[in-house]
Amino acid sequence: MLKRPSSRRRIGKEQIALNLVPMMDTFVTLIAFLLYTMAFMVMTSVETPLPTATPTEVAEKLKEKPLQLTVSFRKEETEIWSPFSKITAKKIPNTPEGTPDVAAIHTKLVEVKQQFPNEKQVVLAPSGSISYDSLVAAMDGIRMLDAIDPPIIVKNAETGVDETLKLLFPEIVFGNILSND
Amino acid sequence: MPAFRSIRNRRKKKKLNAAFELQLTSLIDVLVIILVFLLKSYQTSLNSLTTVQGLQMPISASPDEPRDSLQVIITPEGITFEGLRVVDFSQDGNSAGATEGTYKFSDGALDEGGKRIVALFNTLVAAREKSELLKAKSPVRDEKGNPLPFDGVLAVTADKRIQYDTLRKIMYTAGAAGFKVFRFIALKKET
Repeated sequence: MLKRPSSRRRIGKEQIALNLVPMMDTFVTLIAFLLYTMAFMVMTSVETPLPTATPTEVAEKLKEKPLQLTVSFRKEETEIWSPFSKITAKKIPNTPEGTPDVAAIHTKLVEVKQQFPNEKQVVLAPSGSISYDSLVAAMDGIRMLDAIDPPIIVKNAETGVDETLKLLFPEIVFGNILSND
Repeated sequence: MPAFRSIRNRRKKKKLNAAFELQLTSLIDVLVIILVFLLKSYQTSLNSLTTVQGLQMPISASPDEPRDSLQVIITPEGITFEGLRVVDFSQDGNSAGATEGTYKFSDGALDEGGKRIVALFNTLVAAREKSELLKAKSPVRDEKGNPLPFDGVLAVTADKRIQYDTLRKIMYTAGAAGFKVFRFIALKKET
């Protein structure tokens, strides 16, 4: 398309110099802000309620004889058992380092979950000498399902749709807070 | 380069162009890349959880993000509540705080058969009363117009060398002071 002579003359003669200084100012300010407010330590939490029960509640539960899955950490072994003998108790020896064998505990608990897919709670009874590090590792093994675990499918009571569980036993309660052993 | 330049060379001294402009494009490129990286890894935190010097936290794969709550920190040196040291442990010889089992409660620090930590109990009761007072004065009310109840959540940040026996005493003490839920804090495992 032909252009007017006046327009033709202007083409390609003027170079526009973009003023990047304000943009740089913005970028530097943003980077400083992001670095200042960034959380370099990402924290996570495991929530457990304090076990409380009224005598009537206890009496009601005892009538039903619940699973009450219990994991007892001892100095040399971990025992997975039910006070009402709903499952066969299993004792898992600790690792040579003296810590609970989390992998073996997890495998056993997956078996229990397949038997009782609607059960969510585990009662922990650790010995006083177990370290917090070992306890957190054990709680992870109890609460979480790994990708290599067999899928556990439960029917959603509200929707009636089958759903694959994402957590193994998400509710953890410490059962021996009152004892001194 | 010769130490003395000839007069001819001195005449050839390069003069800066008056219209010289700094080339900022490459710098802008670098800044954009840093900005994108920071925005991608940016993580806001909903809590004001703190740590103390020398604290070695355990690592957990739990997906739960800790929310803001009152916090107690336990290290082999002592117990800190909301940034205030309330209990100092007695250290065992020259291995103070180095390995597990080297700390112990000092005489008179416990009561109720060695289950309750006296100083921590008093501090927690004071914190609960303060929280209840603030909730009573707050305009935020429940459906019946009553002040919101005390949530009773205590974040427990413990050193990985701490033994369960100490944690049990803390949970017992906190339970006696009206705290009903414990949030055990750990570092998030990289996935």
